[in-house]
Amino acid sequence: MQKLLGDKKAIFLFVFPTFLVFTIIIILPIFFSGYYSLLEWDGFSNGKFIGFGNYVDLFVNNTDGFTKGVKNSIVLAIVSVGIQLPLSLLLALILARGVKFEKLYRTVYFIPVIISTVVIGQLWMKIYHPNYGMLNIILNKIGLGFLANEWLGNTQTALGAVFVALLWQYVGYHMLLMYASAKSISTEIYEAAKIDGANEPTLALKITIPLMKPILRVCVVFSVIGSFKAFDLIYVLTNGGPLHATEVPTTIMYTSIFAKYQYGYGSAMAIFIIVECLVATVIIQRMFGKDPVN
Amino acid sequence: MKRVTKMIVSTLLAASLAVGLSACGNSSGTNSSSGGKNNNTAPKEEKITLSFWGISTAEPEKSEMEKIIKEWNDNNPNIQIEYSGTENNAYKTKIKTAIAAGEAPDIMYSWTGGFAQPFVEAGKILNLDEYLTDETKDQMLPGALDNITYDGKVYGITYGQMAGALYVNTELFDQYQVKIPTTFSELMTAVDTFNQNGVKPMITGMKDLWPGMWIYDMIALRESGSQLSLDALNGKASFTDPAFVNAADKIQQLVNAGAFGNGILGMTQDEAEAEFNQGKVAMLFGGNWMASKMESDSSMVKGKIKAVRFPASEDGKGDPTEYVGGGSDAMLVSADTKYKEQAVKAATYLAKAQAEQGYLSGINLPTWKYDSLDQSQINPLAKEIMDNIITGAVGSVPVWDIYLNGADAKTHQDLVAEVFANQITPEQFGAQMQDKVNGN
Repeated sequence: MQKLLGDKKAIFLFVFPTFLVFTIIIILPIFFSGYYSLLEWDGFSNGKFIGFGNYVDLFVNNTDGFTKGVKNSIVLAIVSVGIQLPLSLLLALILARGVKFEKLYRTVYFIPVIISTVVIGQLWMKIYHPNYGMLNIILNKIGLGFLANEWLGNTQTALGAVFVALLWQYVGYHMLLMYASAKSISTEIYEAAKIDGANEPTLALKITIPLMKPILRVCVVFSVIGSFKAFDLIYVLTNGGPLHATEVPTTIMYTSIFAKYQYGYGSAMAIFIIVECLVATVIIQRMFGKDPVN
Repeated sequence: MKRVTKMIVSTLLAASLAVGLSACGNSSGTNSSSGGKNNNTAPKEEKITLSFWGISTAEPEKSEMEKIIKEWNDNNPNIQIEYSGTENNAYKTKIKTAIAAGEAPDIMYSWTGGFAQPFVEAGKILNLDEYLTDETKDQMLPGALDNITYDGKVYGITYGQMAGALYVNTELFDQYQVKIPTTFSELMTAVDTFNQNGVKPMITGMKDLWPGMWIYDMIALRESGSQLSLDALNGKASFTDPAFVNAADKIQQLVNAGAFGNGILGMTQDEAEAEFNQGKVAMLFGGNWMASKMESDSSMVKGKIKAVRFPASEDGKGDPTEYVGGGSDAMLVSADTKYKEQAVKAATYLAKAQAEQGYLSGINLPTWKYDSLDQSQINPLAKEIMDNIITGAVGSVPVWDIYLNGADAKTHQDLVAEVFANQITPEQFGAQMQDKVNGN
């Protein structure tokens, strides 16, 4: 192994094909986007170079609610980290400590991750439907009819309703990552702790969670970035509506480019989202500090 | 060292995740759609293939399109049409991306007016003036090419036109003895009567934005008349004109009278139509293509629907026969095609065949003369629209999102939605329309 890692040719041979694909599909388009974002361009005719004009429009002279979209996506990131991850962690810890039907539960929680987002969107649209939706029917049946609502059509509730669906979709994903990490901790440590009189909550807090720190960091990064670039489910559920209540940067970007022909302006949004994600990643890495020596 | 590598790798991983999404906006660089590939072969006398993109993906349109193309291919063994269909909304994205990347097909479907305008202005669409013969033009209805003419030059061949119609459920109107409204105050009376009897008076799918806009554009036409509407859309008149403000006010009168019930903002037009077709709603204002579903065998209102003109405004300046609609579906030919003459010929055939086929099935109202068609086979509701609404009309205005260009069309839809939600006053609507659409 040591010999292989010392062999520069071998490294080149293995890394180069991926690097090439990565560059062509990912890095180059970023640079193209960066260039487009400096143009006033409708996507067809010749663009006009306007420097950072698009970025000024985004944040200073904004008229299309982009800043509100950014705010929404930050709220989404906060609830993802604050609600979704603790839920996933709880499920992972319980499953990893061995409960009856462990494998069944694991599979069930993971199902939403496998289902196509469009299907999930349709599913939640039916749940939220004002006339025959499951949610309103249940509320009416248990005497809470006054809470029944037009969930996705009401500007007050639409954002919350979309967030619930988004959080639900990825709980299983994070759970699986955490579960795998928790399972890989050696049982000897637990036995030793038990002999010292530790109970289950202490085991989880003092042993499992600290040893899961690297994977927790990955989960937080995925969760935050996922929130910043969330698009598909929101597009299916509300398409940013009603009255722009559920807009996030990606939906505004989509409308700008494909409905308003503002290719340059939309590219500026894309660049902003990329930068936002990179910065968030670095900050989160810093916050978690060093890996435990392993 | 190891830690640094790890950090770089994870950062790159994060970047790749972040970019996966933006890639769709950048696809012009790497897009490899199938169209245009056939152009690579040099033009010869031999067999050529023309690529053709359209939006007929659902039945019955899909099999009808296949039939039309098969007939051409059988009759023209040397010019084969290769069809690729994409769903309506996805098609809008696909065609824009393909044209931007210079990979447009030889023949393509397009909406007329503002949708095709940027393609034309960018020089991507073939000017048809020297290819279209008078003989071809004579077969079309008057004004058929108006909406695809830019700067006096024709860039496409229309085949279908749209018309807004008020669909009324005669069963419900008879049951509650309501008069089919011919004036706005009669409409308000009808709304009240239906509400008192627990029947939903009207329905519209505002989640899609455009259905509400259709209603607004219709009322605005009644208030203003076609000339003032067109002048305002062309920037020659102001949207602050009382006509446009009154139209917004009438929308809010309807909304506040409970004409649309609750829950309009979250409903798609498909859901709205489904509810109408179950016979639960008295009226629906919408496009002529909705007729085909109403008359289909699965519809519970088959044979009970009448298509009438939208009620006149007592104080409006518009003629009660004017309608929103106009030529809207067209075949365009790419400016880059290697086989210009053949492509125009094929596009003409496709337009004519689709005009006839669409009228027979009730999907489209033709922009071509249709006397030769077997009148008994035409969808009865479509015939009603053609006979009662289009024939004898003194004018028409395209729905505004077709007439206006990209960003303006979206602004208009958004503002109408805010009117429906009572978020802005009619005066604010007029002022903002003027400011955002005509201001720049």
